[in-house]
Amino acid sequence: MPTIIAVDASLSMLRPVPGRNEHTYLSLATKGIQHLLDNFTAAGKLEHLALISYTTTAELKVDFTRDYDQIRQAVKKIETVDKACLLTMLKTSVSIMSTWGAQNLLQLVVFTDCGLGFGTTSISGFLETYAGKEADPEYAWLRTVANYNLNFICLGLHSQLFMTPVKNPETNEATSTPSHKSELGRTAVFELIERLCETSYKSTEVTLKCGSYFRMEAPVLLWPPTTPYEQPAVLGVEAEVRQIDQRIDVCGFLALSDIGSPATLSRHWVLPKVEREKTSRRSAGMAVVAKPAKLTLDTSNPNYELERLEQDIREFYAKDPKDTEESGDDADVTIVLKHSSGPQTEQQKECLCVLLHGALKMENMAALVRVGEKWYGFMYAFTDAKKKSNLMLNILPPGSNVIPWLGDLELLGFTEDLAPGETASFPVRADRRSYSQSSVVWIRQASLQSDVQKVLRHAKKMPDKTQHFYKELNRIRRAALALGFVELLEALAMLLEKECAHLTLNGASNECTVQLQHAATELRKTSNRDIKSTIVPHQKGGVPDASSSAAVASTAGYMY
Amino acid sequence: MFERNQKTIFVLDHTRYFSIASEEYISMDFLKGKPSAHSSAGGSSQFSKSLWTCACESSIEYCRVVWDLFPGKKHVRFIVSDTAAHIVNTWSASTQNMSHVMNAMVMVGVPSRSMPQSSDYSVIHGLRAAIEALAEPTDEQSQAMASGIPDDLILNEGRVICITSARDNTSMKSLEDIFNTVLIQQNVLSATPPKKGLGINHCHLVILNIVPLGIDSMVTNRNLLEISPLLDVEIHTVGAPDISYKLTHLILDHYDLASTTVTNIPMKEEQNANSSANYDVEILHSRRAHSITCGPDFSLPTSIKQGATYETVTLKWCTPRGCGSADLQPCLGQFLVTPVDVTSRPSSCLINFLLNGRSVLLEMPRKTGSKATSHMLSARGGEIFIHSLCITRSCMDEAPSIADGPGGRVNDYRTSELGQLMKMSRMVPLKSRDPAAPNLPRRLPRYFPLTTTSTVLFHLQRHLSWLPHFLHLLVKEMDKQDEVRCQQHIHELYKSASRGDVLPFTHTNGARLKPHKAKDQYRLLYRELEQLIQLNASTVHHKNLLESLQTLRAAYGDAPSKSEAGTVNLRSFTESPLSPERLEAMSNVSISSSTNSNSLLKASKRRMSNCGTRSLLDIISSAERSQSNKRLDFSGRICTPIGQIAKLYPDFGNKEKDAAAAAAASGVGVAPKE
Repeated sequence: MPTIIAVDASLSMLRPVPGRNEHTYLSLATKGIQHLLDNFTAAGKLEHLALISYTTTAELKVDFTRDYDQIRQAVKKIETVDKACLLTMLKTSVSIMSTWGAQNLLQLVVFTDCGLGFGTTSISGFLETYAGKEADPEYAWLRTVANYNLNFICLGLHSQLFMTPVKNPETNEATSTPSHKSELGRTAVFELIERLCETSYKSTEVTLKCGSYFRMEAPVLLWPPTTPYEQPAVLGVEAEVRQIDQRIDVCGFLALSDIGSPATLSRHWVLPKVEREKTSRRSAGMAVVAKPAKLTLDTSNPNYELERLEQDIREFYAKDPKDTEESGDDADVTIVLKHSSGPQTEQQKECLCVLLHGALKMENMAALVRVGEKWYGFMYAFTDAKKKSNLMLNILPPGSNVIPWLGDLELLGFTEDLAPGETASFPVRADRRSYSQSSVVWIRQASLQSDVQKVLRHAKKMPDKTQHFYKELNRIRRAALALGFVELLEALAMLLEKECAHLTLNGASNECTVQLQHAATELRKTSNRDIKSTIVPHQKGGVPDASSSAAVASTAGYMY
Repeated sequence: MFERNQKTIFVLDHTRYFSIASEEYISMDFLKGKPSAHSSAGGSSQFSKSLWTCACESSIEYCRVVWDLFPGKKHVRFIVSDTAAHIVNTWSASTQNMSHVMNAMVMVGVPSRSMPQSSDYSVIHGLRAAIEALAEPTDEQSQAMASGIPDDLILNEGRVICITSARDNTSMKSLEDIFNTVLIQQNVLSATPPKKGLGINHCHLVILNIVPLGIDSMVTNRNLLEISPLLDVEIHTVGAPDISYKLTHLILDHYDLASTTVTNIPMKEEQNANSSANYDVEILHSRRAHSITCGPDFSLPTSIKQGATYETVTLKWCTPRGCGSADLQPCLGQFLVTPVDVTSRPSSCLINFLLNGRSVLLEMPRKTGSKATSHMLSARGGEIFIHSLCITRSCMDEAPSIADGPGGRVNDYRTSELGQLMKMSRMVPLKSRDPAAPNLPRRLPRYFPLTTTSTVLFHLQRHLSWLPHFLHLLVKEMDKQDEVRCQQHIHELYKSASRGDVLPFTHTNGARLKPHKAKDQYRLLYRELEQLIQLNASTVHHKNLLESLQTLRAAYGDAPSKSEAGTVNLRSFTESPLSPERLEAMSNVSISSSTNSNSLLKASKRRMSNCGTRSLLDIISSAERSQSNKRLDFSGRICTPIGQIAKLYPDFGNKEKDAAAAAAASGVGVAPKE
């Protein structure tokens, strides 16, 4: 979630915090930002952050980055200038944010001492000029701000709340303003930050399940967090807000080439959830707590036996012969185990996500997952431009018929489910569209011309192309009949006769002239103005009756 | 759900006037492909479409676009009007397609010039029929009605496009008035029982007044006007040859469509195969394909084509560089497309390129001068889609490397095995799905350690040729024959254990296993096998195998602990058809077995009575007996009177639990503490 951290750099921020001479408001804000960065670092440095400081002007200190050290350095250098103007800051934020697309949830975290500003740059000043000009394009940016998630870290005194800075009746902003109860100081600021992280930056926690074995089920985090889907009301069903389920099940696997690029609602990293030691204060995320190698297994756990077995097997493999002592005879061996393996870090613990990612990547496949009732998504190995790869979940729009070429997702099964002799494969084919049939559209004269020329080309190459000639001829004739374009039939007959005369002069084969003459005659017959009739080639000695054409019907071109 | 454009009805005037020529002449020489310079060579060598043909082809083109873009969702009907209304097609899906309409039109034919001019011939019949047709529910509306949704909640709106030719504004006004009156009458009919059709909530009447080329019409154009709350009317007068352009313009608003022109399509020339010229192809699709990608800081480049009255977005063709349709693009929306000119050569080249499975990225210029691929064209299942791609910055652009995350440094995942399973569990589209068919959890193995260092069985699988087959037998539905085979395998295993064979591990890096490990390896193997069978236990044969395996474990000095025995019984017997007596007997075995050959004998005798022949277990137990006879018995047992159970570590009596846990964890067999 791209986030702009905005720091109030008005002179009032230099005031010492009452009763805490060691802190000014600004130094508290700085500490708060450092703590926020610590939290983001601990969560995997996923957030893109930008830093601005604002007074009557707003200045971009650090553009969006995941390198938090840049921000740490820049925060220290913020200097106070004059008075605060919140609106300048908001307006600047809009332009800084504009590089991000609508699929990102944009966040703004403002550290301020809650000054309302003075004079024209104050909030009340703004509201006065703004009143009545809501529709003015000059204020269009306010509507953009309304889509942001605004967070104010108010460094006011005690529980003195500062709540409605740009609250105007039009744009009803989602503003969350954490407030603190205890006395203002480091503790209080840190508490606010913790609450901010909890409410606005928490990844969605779900259980990923792939099969029935207990190791094939694991808690995972989806980052960025999923956003609720507002399902509009349809006939008799009221509108509702939907969240994805707590457990997402893998239903089966599909080749990525079969999936293609369908429209997705949102994309998320699927990251393993790690039980982190509850870190406190400044140490947050800094210390990796070394855990004892040996997990204490819980006998009441239903999978206790399996876990114990795995552990025993690992120890069997890990045992270094030097570290074991033997005693007793060869019948009963007592081994005194020493834990040769050092503390196991999280990276060395096996994890379902990594296995799944590896297998999906190797096979170029995606796992179809059910994220809710009639709601699906798919997981696959996503590799970025720098060849870094991770497991990604694309959440599809709710519904089971959202990817036309895959068909109804509820109807996907395995080859074993097919009826004997039945075959099935992707893509699910749709009815033929006009562009995959030999459509006839003569709105432009050029297309009429090319159709007629095709017939004439075949005419010249008779008898070799007799079948093609009649196929094209009938195609034109049918279309002309459908459109009531009888003028064309007469024109075509004339053209054929001319062609016939021309070809005779040039000594064409007898067969060719006979066929052309025959075709021209048939075109003119009003008895042939019937959907069922087809002009068939002139048969030597046969009866060239066009209406008895069923046998040659297969050569007739169907228009649509 | 039921928008205004769900129902469109074309009312085509089929009166005598429509048989006259549109006065736009096509020269025969042009058709032959000769230069048009000779086209003035006399009346006989040129001909013209009739007004009827113009009306017919343009309305059919309209529905071609509708059915290409909204197959099965938006419906178009045709009504032909002369002395009466002739219904060309209905709302039912079987008649909502091009071939039906074209075939039906053959039967309608061109209006006869010899028709008498009488008041019987009128477009009014068609308009009346159109209102009745609006009152008829579509399949979707019928479904909604059948599902119990009250009729008044089912919105019933529609559009009537009437192609006619009126003398002047007065006759046009009377047409309007009649239509409005009939509409109101129809709603009265629909409201009073017996209900005849759905009430019409709103109707949009578009009147296209067409005249031959060069003729001035007395009818004035009029924009949308609300005649009544039920009816909006607009009137357009167009020359017959231009009616298609008019309808293409109107269809954009009717279905909220937008036009995109793909420019710079390289295409080989027919005459000169070596060079290629660039062509443009215009396509239509939902307007959302454009609006969904547009952001606040950029907009798509638009232009107006010559002769057109609407804007088209011009996007540049990107020569695909190894860009198969497999490449997954971040896609915000996909929409069906159809070419504006379906028969032109550039259009069909683009279409065939796409239908052959290749996709094309479309590029737009950015304000900064750089370019972005904002859209993609690709065909799937015979349909062509435009995909609106995400071109703004995304927080997903840089991936946190999975290797740096939890579990990222483990390098012995059973990736290829899972890959195999994935290939075996590839999904296919079914016509109908049996809810009882096994789902993925039932297809995937019930025992699947994630890494090779957490399994002995699957590690050895690659090196012991008989093991894969054995494992396969264990997880499937087992019959008697399979059981016998498995018993043989277990026996083989037992023999190799007694010989002290070292199992072919590769983790030891070539170093030979210490003798004590030789024993551990079999213990772990037995335990793992036991878990595997337990998780897959579905038949009585599994139970039998489990039993002999447990006996074997016991014989090997690695008895299942009490808690384990408990779970074994619980798990296996709740799933099995075994009788309670067996349960009792079995739990006795597992608890009291230890290395007691008596129980081994007992077990084997029971097996004998089951099979009738000398069973595998019998062989094992006799071997076990001879084995134990050769060596000195465990000292603890020697001190204990027969019939009682030897107690291990009597000192640890009060800390029994700890001792058990420690012993179990170290993998050393202990006698059960009871």
